[in-house]
Amino acid sequence: MQAFRFKPLIALAALATAGTVHAAADIGEPAPGFTLTDTSGETHALSDFEGRTVVLEWTNHQCPFVQKHYGADNMQEQQRTARDEHDAVWLTVISSAPGKQGHVSPEKADALTAERNAEPAAVLFDESGDVGRAYGARTTPHMYIIDADGTLVYKGGIDSIQSADPADIPKADQYVVTALNEMAAGDAISEPVTRPYGCSIKY
Amino acid sequence: MMLRTLLALLLIPAAGTAAAASSGWSQHDHLRVALVSETTHIQPGTPFRVALRMQPETHWHTYWKNPGDSGIETRFDWTLPDGFSAGAIDWPYPERLPIEPLVNYGYSGEHALPVTVTPPADLPTGEPVTLTLDASWLVCKVECIPGEATLTLRMPVRDRAPEAAAEQAAMFAWADARQPVPRDRAARFATDGGHLSLQVPMPEAPNVEALAVFPAQPELVDHAAAASLRHDAGQLQLSQPLSDYFAGADARVEFVIVDTAAGEAVSVIAEHGELSTGAATAGAGDSGRPALGWILLLALGGGALLNLMPCVFPVLSLKALHIVEGGGHQRAQALAYTAGVLVAFGVVAGALLAVRSAGAAVGWGFQLQSPAFIAILAYLLFAMGLSLSGLVHFGTGWMGAGQKLTERGGLAGSFFTGVLACVVASPCTAPFMGTALGFAVTQPPAIALGIFLALGLGMAAPMLLIGFLPGLARVLPKPGAWMEAFKQAMAFPLYLTVVWLLWVLARQTDPNGLAAVMTGLVLLAFALWLWGRGQGRPARWLRGATVAAAVVAALALVALPAAPGTATAARTADAWQPWQPGRVAALRDEGRGVFVNMTADWCVTCLVNERVALSTDTVRAHMRDNDIVYLKGDWTRRDAAITEYLARFDRNGVPLYVYYPSDPDAEPTVLPQILTPDIVVRNLQ
Repeated sequence: MQAFRFKPLIALAALATAGTVHAAADIGEPAPGFTLTDTSGETHALSDFEGRTVVLEWTNHQCPFVQKHYGADNMQEQQRTARDEHDAVWLTVISSAPGKQGHVSPEKADALTAERNAEPAAVLFDESGDVGRAYGARTTPHMYIIDADGTLVYKGGIDSIQSADPADIPKADQYVVTALNEMAAGDAISEPVTRPYGCSIKY
Repeated sequence: MMLRTLLALLLIPAAGTAAAASSGWSQHDHLRVALVSETTHIQPGTPFRVALRMQPETHWHTYWKNPGDSGIETRFDWTLPDGFSAGAIDWPYPERLPIEPLVNYGYSGEHALPVTVTPPADLPTGEPVTLTLDASWLVCKVECIPGEATLTLRMPVRDRAPEAAAEQAAMFAWADARQPVPRDRAARFATDGGHLSLQVPMPEAPNVEALAVFPAQPELVDHAAAASLRHDAGQLQLSQPLSDYFAGADARVEFVIVDTAAGEAVSVIAEHGELSTGAATAGAGDSGRPALGWILLLALGGGALLNLMPCVFPVLSLKALHIVEGGGHQRAQALAYTAGVLVAFGVVAGALLAVRSAGAAVGWGFQLQSPAFIAILAYLLFAMGLSLSGLVHFGTGWMGAGQKLTERGGLAGSFFTGVLACVVASPCTAPFMGTALGFAVTQPPAIALGIFLALGLGMAAPMLLIGFLPGLARVLPKPGAWMEAFKQAMAFPLYLTVVWLLWVLARQTDPNGLAAVMTGLVLLAFALWLWGRGQGRPARWLRGATVAAAVVAALALVALPAAPGTATAARTADAWQPWQPGRVAALRDEGRGVFVNMTADWCVTCLVNERVALSTDTVRAHMRDNDIVYLKGDWTRRDAAITEYLARFDRNGVPLYVYYPSDPDAEPTVLPQILTPDIVVRNLQ
């Protein structure tokens, strides 16, 4: 007769319970995984980009705060900088539900990208809002940076001056660019959590 | 002639008033704004007030200085004549504006943001002056539109006391009524453990239910999360989860505390630092505190009683079986088991004290409020049951370990049986345990830990006795074929425990969550069956992978019910009403006696008490005849208000039974944790 042991099961149980505690995306933790479809119907999973830095940008083209940063070419410039200088993957995410402000067809999304000279790696649709909620995204714009190991390293606003006035952009600290530069230099990110500002996401 | 002059004299200031007191309305998207003055003219050197009147359309709103999750506060930028100075906005207190899933702070109706302006004393009279305000705002319904306006206000300067501009009086009165009164209180706040904890000395008990607390610093609290508030020992205590975007608090933060029923507000400046930990319990009856030695003894006895609880007994019988099997290792086994129990109690005590010190409202049994925890526990017990039934043999050549390792494994097995017994025991708050625990969490860590360890020692006592008293060991039956049957029979209490856990789970989630976990049980059974078939044969990677996949899938299903269920406990309440904060006080004000029952579906003691005592005709008739209102609080899921209520009685777990006599001045009576109809009737007099 064999002795009865449940040590491995207890370890498993402890592991599984611990895993369900954190719902929101936290700095220093693995970023929530996702698989979303882009404007050409192609799917992208976060895990596809393992080994590269990923920038997530929540957007809604009808939001005045998004218009502030696209109208002044600030968002596009950051997209180019992220791609050209940091080999980062820039994913623009639309979590607006069908029928709500900011929800667009794939064609419209492509047209917006073209007319704004935007250069994200892809524009992804999150109509159910599941990914937005998993990240705790609440405004447009709302920015996240995930490092090459899949760890969330930045979450918050696009910059430090909370206004809809494009004239404030040159005066503001552009958090995403600052963080990417700090990552490139091997430094710790000085402000990993900032206040996101903008329009609420229309889940 | 005279008349005409008089008329002219009268008309000029009248016309001047209309022109001077307002910039006139400026229409923007979804709101209109105007810069207005409280007075008709300026007197050199005399401060006066101006305000931005904002009139949003219905359903639209603008924001307070802490705008909440997604808003932006209204901002002023003044251009004033030389020598003038303008103060900051005197913000009227805001309202909570929920926009699922966010909460913002702002104003949804017409409102005014006043500012005090001080003109220079040597301002020449006769020449009007112009005040220019660049205002910017965000106006939102669900969508948001930023707006800005440049507003100019021309005001005459006269060398006499300013007169009130009648048409603006109502709006300034509105702002004044909502102006928080600054109070110099030694308020403090801490931000440890993911919560904001605020303490405001407040000798007079406020109407806690009607209070709303607004921190002026953005991204301090999670605005959408409920704040738990209580008044205790002369302190208003608030606990609210920190914002996801919390990145440090200022040294001093203003909090605006609004009595929404009375329409009054105060503001306090709180210092960031240590809270006075004793405050929560100080003065709550120190004289009535039982002595430490007595408490430790009670803890020991309570721990021993835990062994008889339905949720521990199956584990205990497993262990007894193990020791019967174990042959000559009883002492070592018993010691290892004891160590396991003590470590588990120590860890739980440490965690509880850590969370407690962080200001989070928790209580004993809180693990069982997590559906994921329940599901995992059900899996664990189910797997153990299947093993006892013979589907699989855990430990058979586990990792091909040798005889020596198996022996060590045996002790480790005993150790972890001890750990498991403690985990499973948590919901069965035996009599004595409530008092001991309530006492423990109010004590310095060393004493609290001592109490927990005494509980653990009590729980391990029967096993220690079996291990160390040869007499007892001799009484145990000789090993033989009966043991296999005994082992298989022992599976059934485990299955029953699984049923009980699933029932608790069903109360916490919905049929979908329950189905997910039950599917997980089937997957687990499949995995164990497959594994069992493979035992004793050469390892095949395919089988191993399938087993692993099934176990992983089962664990993944746990995530489904992890979301708190929305199912409400809408029971056919014939005799009782749901407990709510403030309900007791309201009923006592009506001169009625109140009986409070704090319970939870996973609390076996509670359910037994309800069945044998509270739901009997005797007790029902007694309550009816004496006009006693029966309130029931359900702690099956986390409920900060109930946790606080328990803490008021030095308790940390359920059951708790309290009777408030109809005489509003009489002290409430706490009933024992084991009830009979007789005990209830005797206490409810």
